[in-house]
Amino acid sequence: PQQKPELDLDVWKSVMRSQVSQDDKQKEDREAETGGEEAAGGGSPVERSRTLVDMWRQAGKQVPDDVTEEQLETLAELTTKSSKRKYLRYLAIKEGHKKANREKKEKRKTERSVELVKEETGLEDAEEEGEGEPKLKNTFLMQFWTRSADRLLGWRAAQAMLYGQPLVYDMSYDQHMSRREMENTISQLMETEGWNRRSVDSFHLHFCNLQPDGAYQRELLRRYGQEAWDRLFVTATHQRHVDLFPREDLVYLTADSPNVLRTFDHTKVYIIGAMVDRSIQSGASLANAKRLKLSTARLPLDEYLHWEIGAKNLTLDQMIRILMTVKETGSWEKALEFVPKRKHDGFHHHRS
Amino acid sequence: ERTSFPKSVFAAGNARRTAEILKKRSGSGQDQVNTGSQKVRTALIAEIPDRVLSTSEWRDLKSRISRPERFELRMIEGMLSADTDISIAKSLLNYVAAENKTLPYELLLKYLALCVSGGHHSEVSDVYDIMKSCYKTLDTGAYSLFVKGLSQTERWREALIILEDLKKVIAPSSRNYGDAVTGAVLHGDRETAWSLYGELMDQGLTPNQETWRCLFESGVSQRAHTDQLLAILNYMRENQIYPEEKLSRSIKAWFESLPDENWRGTFTSVDPRGVCQSCGTQLESIQLTDDEYVQLKHRVMEDVIEGQDVFNKTTPEELESFKSFVKKRPAFDVIIDGLNVANITPKCVKSETLLAVVSELQGLNILVLGRKHMQHPSRNWNRHDMNQIKQKAHCFFTENISEDDPFLLYAALHSGNHCNFVSRDLMRDHKACLPDSATRRLFFKWQRGHQLVLNNFIPGKKIRFQRTSVYDTVVQNSGRTWHVPYDENGGERSTYEVPQRWLCLCNDV
Repeated sequence: PQQKPELDLDVWKSVMRSQVSQDDKQKEDREAETGGEEAAGGGSPVERSRTLVDMWRQAGKQVPDDVTEEQLETLAELTTKSSKRKYLRYLAIKEGHKKANREKKEKRKTERSVELVKEETGLEDAEEEGEGEPKLKNTFLMQFWTRSADRLLGWRAAQAMLYGQPLVYDMSYDQHMSRREMENTISQLMETEGWNRRSVDSFHLHFCNLQPDGAYQRELLRRYGQEAWDRLFVTATHQRHVDLFPREDLVYLTADSPNVLRTFDHTKVYIIGAMVDRSIQSGASLANAKRLKLSTARLPLDEYLHWEIGAKNLTLDQMIRILMTVKETGSWEKALEFVPKRKHDGFHHHRS
Repeated sequence: ERTSFPKSVFAAGNARRTAEILKKRSGSGQDQVNTGSQKVRTALIAEIPDRVLSTSEWRDLKSRISRPERFELRMIEGMLSADTDISIAKSLLNYVAAENKTLPYELLLKYLALCVSGGHHSEVSDVYDIMKSCYKTLDTGAYSLFVKGLSQTERWREALIILEDLKKVIAPSSRNYGDAVTGAVLHGDRETAWSLYGELMDQGLTPNQETWRCLFESGVSQRAHTDQLLAILNYMRENQIYPEEKLSRSIKAWFESLPDENWRGTFTSVDPRGVCQSCGTQLESIQLTDDEYVQLKHRVMEDVIEGQDVFNKTTPEELESFKSFVKKRPAFDVIIDGLNVANITPKCVKSETLLAVVSELQGLNILVLGRKHMQHPSRNWNRHDMNQIKQKAHCFFTENISEDDPFLLYAALHSGNHCNFVSRDLMRDHKACLPDSATRRLFFKWQRGHQLVLNNFIPGKKIRFQRTSVYDTVVQNSGRTWHVPYDENGGERSTYEVPQRWLCLCNDV
């Protein structure tokens, strides 16, 4: 059908304009009530950041739905547009995860309540059929609660504190890390401690160079809570590893080392740098080891794996799982199962 | 004589050529790249109708489509990437307005982007009125688009107000300022243009070449603002920025149009001795001044070798022993990066290659830098060769885990201005250790003048180094002449390369 395009194509404009005139009336009413605030864009840096977030949300950029005052302050401190965008993206992703988890929880809750109702009705039926007494089960164990497991693990950890092989985490990299990296480090340390606690033959973990008012300590306390932190079966000290152990027993594990760790030595004290490095400063832990004249070693990754992508430095929890396994089994093949699969394409076929 | 030297690694386009050769040699299929994103894009474009649709037709189309989520937005995004006629986009807006009685902000924004990129000025103007009345504040993207769009129209002064609004939220980019400058120039308000440009410079932003181009074009046949335009050329000189061909043409036109002066511009090249082919002027030498030299030496010692932590690259003991080693010997003429040179041909025994290069440079005071493992005889490191090398040159072997390049740089800088070094390494990582861009440029200038690059090595054949430059590739002025290196259209230049083409401007009084 032949239409006149000019007349036809601008209909949306008149729609929007008419909407505006309606809005205007409402706005005038509202402004009469509130006294017409003119705060748009002006004011404090935090206010400005808030406007920015609102506008970007409207424009369909990836920003969180809710922002706290603290986050706005962080945002206001960022100077470039791209850093602002990245930070907001990070918040948005975090918020997304949180929401998804909450939804999942909600779903599980409703499912469980439905099941419970079903069971109850089922039970009533059964009771009606039976004599009306709760059934006695014949078991030889009381229910094994998590609490019981905790006690067992605690016992083992105490033993490890007495007789276990020491494993040192060097906490002297606070100057090298940003806030985000520090948070990641602490997460990895917590996971490390968890894996260690569950192992059959735990290490005696040492957190060395832990300054009482340093960033590590602050973040650890924030995450563990004072009480749990005080009861943790690890040796946390401000002392250096070289002060605690004989120098010749120490081996600093770093991916930059030229030496390969061929066999796991049960008499050595291995040191791992508690650091997450998202920037480009390479060789920080090797420099540390050189300064203290310690021997160094790296995992035999190239010797066993077809390496494909990714850096050779592994996360702290991967490190302890590898060390635990090689300590228990003596097999690098088993231990290096914990290297992320995306980084390599299987093991070399060994000629040995 | 000229053909006997291969082109320098720092000549524009060299990196691209090398990459192409390597790609050909490895035989990788180029067509496999890009297909992924291409597919997505074509799929998007395939959905876009090629004519104006009525509301009911749009409704039909949407109902036929398999994924109706975000249909309108995906559609307009596709239009933006396919550069579709805006009447089709308008019909889409009509449909959405008819369906929802309003338009979402995001859709309007995308439509605005389409209008701006298509240069539909009156439409931009309309959208501005609508969006301004519908929303209290706009997002930064919309502000930027309006600055760009409105500066092309009669309402260009409003673009300046928008720029002010933008400042309340975020620091405007050099492109934002550039668009505003373009608007002012377009409407003949040079004063405003220059004050905006001044503001841009005060913010520490690097102006776009487009901005400069329109400033030069606005200055044609004018006596005003001459100093400011010359200041732009000096800014380019100080920051080692090279104009693109388009801008260089505007610069030429401006010079030639200057009243009462008789400038003549020629596009030309410079011969290896540093003489302009057009006017015969000798270009500036690449040698650093004494002050610059001292400063660079200092910075390399402090930032590249010691850095935040001496232990990163070496140890204090090693550094001390190296310093006294250098001090005890007369100034070197040439420093060889032993491992880099030895590894040029993978097929040869490494020590043989190194010996050949050292023998070639006989008669000069040579320093060979290496690592300790080279002294242990092995298949690659022949004891006899190494002994000969030690006879013909001074040698310093660092620890196996130390870095040798920083020592090379220090020894070369310590020996003085005449000292060259042999390495194929482009030293980009060491350049990156330097704290500020001014020192980095100084380093690059020194590197271009002092690095001897060995392209390939065939045993028994004569060794040829790539020529080091004797003149500096930078915007330069000598009273009656200006010489401006520029980037040719289509010539892709890596960051560590310098242009080979020049604009020569002479003032024949």
